[in-house]
Amino acid sequence: MSATAEPLLKLDGVQTYYGSIQALKGISIEVHEGEIVTLIGANGAGKSTTLRSINGLNHPRHGTIRFRGRDITQTAAHDVVRMGIAQSPEGRKLFPRMTVVENLEMGAFQRKDRHALPEDMERVFTLFPRLAERRNQKAGTMSGGEQQMCAIGRALMARPTLLMLDEPSMGLAPIFVQRIFDTIVEVNKQGTSILLVEQNALMALEVANRGYVLETGKVAMADDAKALAQNDDVKRTYLGEI
Amino acid sequence: MRRRLSGWWWAALGAVGLPHDRWLSVPRLTRRAVKTAIWLGIGLALVAAFGVWKTAALAVAAVVALLVVPAWNRLPYGRFFVPLAVIGIVVAYPYYLGSLPQLPVFGPFPQISTMVVMMIFTMMALGLNFVVGYAGLLDLGYVAFYAMGAYMAGWFASNQFAKQHLNLGAVGLYPGWSGYHITIWLVLLMAGIATAIIGVLIGLPTLRLRGDYLAIVTLGFGEIMPQIARNGDNLFGTGFNLTNGTGGITPIDGPGFGNWAQAHLHLPANYLNASNFDSLYLWTSIVLVGITVFCSMRLRDSRVGRAWIAIREDETAAAAMGIPLMRTKTWAYATGAFFGGVAGAYYASYKSGAFPDDFFFNISVFILCMVILGGMGNIWGVIFGACFLAYLDREGLANVGAWINGHFHTNLNVPLYEFGIYGVIIVVVMLFRPEGLIPSQRRAAELHEGVHDDPLYEAETAGA
Repeated sequence: MSATAEPLLKLDGVQTYYGSIQALKGISIEVHEGEIVTLIGANGAGKSTTLRSINGLNHPRHGTIRFRGRDITQTAAHDVVRMGIAQSPEGRKLFPRMTVVENLEMGAFQRKDRHALPEDMERVFTLFPRLAERRNQKAGTMSGGEQQMCAIGRALMARPTLLMLDEPSMGLAPIFVQRIFDTIVEVNKQGTSILLVEQNALMALEVANRGYVLETGKVAMADDAKALAQNDDVKRTYLGEI
Repeated sequence: MRRRLSGWWWAALGAVGLPHDRWLSVPRLTRRAVKTAIWLGIGLALVAAFGVWKTAALAVAAVVALLVVPAWNRLPYGRFFVPLAVIGIVVAYPYYLGSLPQLPVFGPFPQISTMVVMMIFTMMALGLNFVVGYAGLLDLGYVAFYAMGAYMAGWFASNQFAKQHLNLGAVGLYPGWSGYHITIWLVLLMAGIATAIIGVLIGLPTLRLRGDYLAIVTLGFGEIMPQIARNGDNLFGTGFNLTNGTGGITPIDGPGFGNWAQAHLHLPANYLNASNFDSLYLWTSIVLVGITVFCSMRLRDSRVGRAWIAIREDETAAAAMGIPLMRTKTWAYATGAFFGGVAGAYYASYKSGAFPDDFFFNISVFILCMVILGGMGNIWGVIFGACFLAYLDREGLANVGAWINGHFHTNLNVPLYEFGIYGVIIVVVMLFRPEGLIPSQRRAAELHEGVHDDPLYEAETAGA
C-alpha cells in the first residue's frame, strides 16, 4: 500500500449498541487512500452497523473513528456527509416520488458549490447511461438495477472522498451485478476510495484490494483480497465451496 | 386545458365519494349520460337561482375564461393573471356583495365578517400545512400557536398590565389607559416571532419522535396552553395576573395607521372607528394571506423545502444524504408556528379579545381538517379547504339547516352537529380521496403507494 502516514479512515475498537443489544464488539478496520476495501460476513455479523457507526446514524458507545485525521466518532450524520463520506444505503432508499434528477440533486444537498452540479451530474450520466435515459422518471418506478445505479450516482453527487456501498448487488439480476461492480472499479479509478459491504463475497473479493471478514460483531480475518479468496475457511463459509 | 378540466371532474367525483378508477369501469355510454345529466342539472340550478339572462352571462364568462386562461399562461407573466384575478374578486367583495343573489340550499353569500374569519383560518391552515403537508409531521396541538399569538396581542395591545404605561404607535386609546399599547402591525410581527420561538422550544425535545408519538406529544402541548391561559390569573401562586383567567383579555386595540396617515395618505386612522370596519379587516387579512402564500411557495421550492419533502419521503435516506433532520424539522415547526401566531394575534385584534375558551382541542382538529380536506401540501387545496370549512362553521351549516328545516318541516339544529358533520366529511375524503380534493401530485402518489418509514434511531432486528 501507499506509504501515507495515516489511513483515510480508521476504526479502533468500535463498539456499537442497538439499545441494550451489542451489535459491534470492538471493530478495528482501516481504509487507505485509493483503496477498495470490502467487509464480508453473514447476516447479523455487523456489516451494516459498521457503516451506520461511521456515517453517524448509530454512534458507537466505545472506540474511536478517525477520518482524514479527525475524530468523527460522535459527529452528526449531516456533518459526516459534508466531511466527505457518502453512502448508498442498504435497500437503496431512493426518494421514490422524486425523479432521477431530483434524487441526484438531493445527493448534493450538503455541497456549497452549486455551480459545479451540472458537471457532476454529467459524470454520473456518463457512468450510468441508463440513468440519462430516465432522468425525468420517478425513481420508484425503475427496476432494481436502475435504482441501485441511481443510489450510487446520488452518493457520488456529494463528491465524496470515501464512498460507502451497502449491499449494492442485493436483489439484482446477474447482468446488473456485473455492471455495478464494473462501475465500482471505474469510480475507484477516478480517485474515490470505497468501503464495500457485500454478501456476494466472490464478486467483492474480486474487485477489492483488501477485505475484512466479520463474524458476530468482531473482525474474524483481515487480509489482502486475493489471499482471502484463497483462504479455506473463507471458501467454505462464504464462497460456497467445499 | 382538457387535463385541467378532467382534474376538476375527478375532484368532483372524489367529493361525492367515487374514486375515478371505479368510475372508469362504468360503461362509456353511461358515463356520458351521467356527465350530461350533471351539467344539465347545474345549468337548471343556475337558471333557477339567477334567472335566464344572468345564467347565460355566467356561462359566456366561464367559456371565455376557459378559452382565454390557457392562452394567458403562455404570455410573459401570464401565470400571475389568474391569481391576480382571484385577488381582485375577493378584494372587491364588499362592493358587490349586496347585489349577489341567494344560492340554492346554501342561501346568501357569506357576510364580510365571515370572509375575514375565512381568511384568518386560511392563514392558520397554510401555517399548519408547513408542518403536516410539507414535512409530514402530524401536529395535533396547533391551537397552542394560535393561542400564543392571541395572548401576545392581549399583552402588548391592551390594558392588561395596569402598572405599565407604554404607547408605541397604538391608535384609539381612551383617556386613562394603562398597560402596553404597541401598534398592531408590530404586535403581529412580535406574535409571529414569539410563537416561532415557542415552536422551536417545543420542537427540540419532541421532534425526535416519529409518527404517532409526535402526534400525542403535540396533543398534550395543545392541551397545556389553554389550561395555562385559563389558570394564568394567578401564575404559579405568585399573584401575577398573566392571562386574566377565564375572563380573558379584552378589549384589544384595533389596527390603524394614525391621524397623520389618514390626513396625508387616505389610510384609515383607526379601523374600529371606520364605517367600513369589516371591509378594512378583510383587505388587511387578504394582504396577510398573500404574504403567507408567497412564503409557502418560495419555501416549498427552496433548499429547506426540498429537505422537508425528502424527510417526508424517507427519513433514513434523507439523513444519509446529509440533511440535518432535527434542524430541518424544527424549521418546519417554527415556520408553521410563526404564521399561526400572526393569525392568532390578528384574530384577537379583530375579536378585540383573547379568551381561553377559544383555544380548545377542537380548533386544532378543525384546522387539521382544513388541510386534509383541501389536500396536504397543496397551497390552493389548503386555501379551499380552509375557506370552505370556516364558511360552514360561521354561516354555511346554519343556512343549510334552515333550508332543510324549511323544506322538510323538521326542527334540526344543524350547527349542533358541526363536528359530527366534519367527521363524516373527513372519513369520506380519507376513504375515497386520501390526498384531498386538490392534491399535490407528489403527496397523492405517496398516499396511494405508501412511504418508507422505518425507524431510524431504534433497535432493528434484522440486517445489522
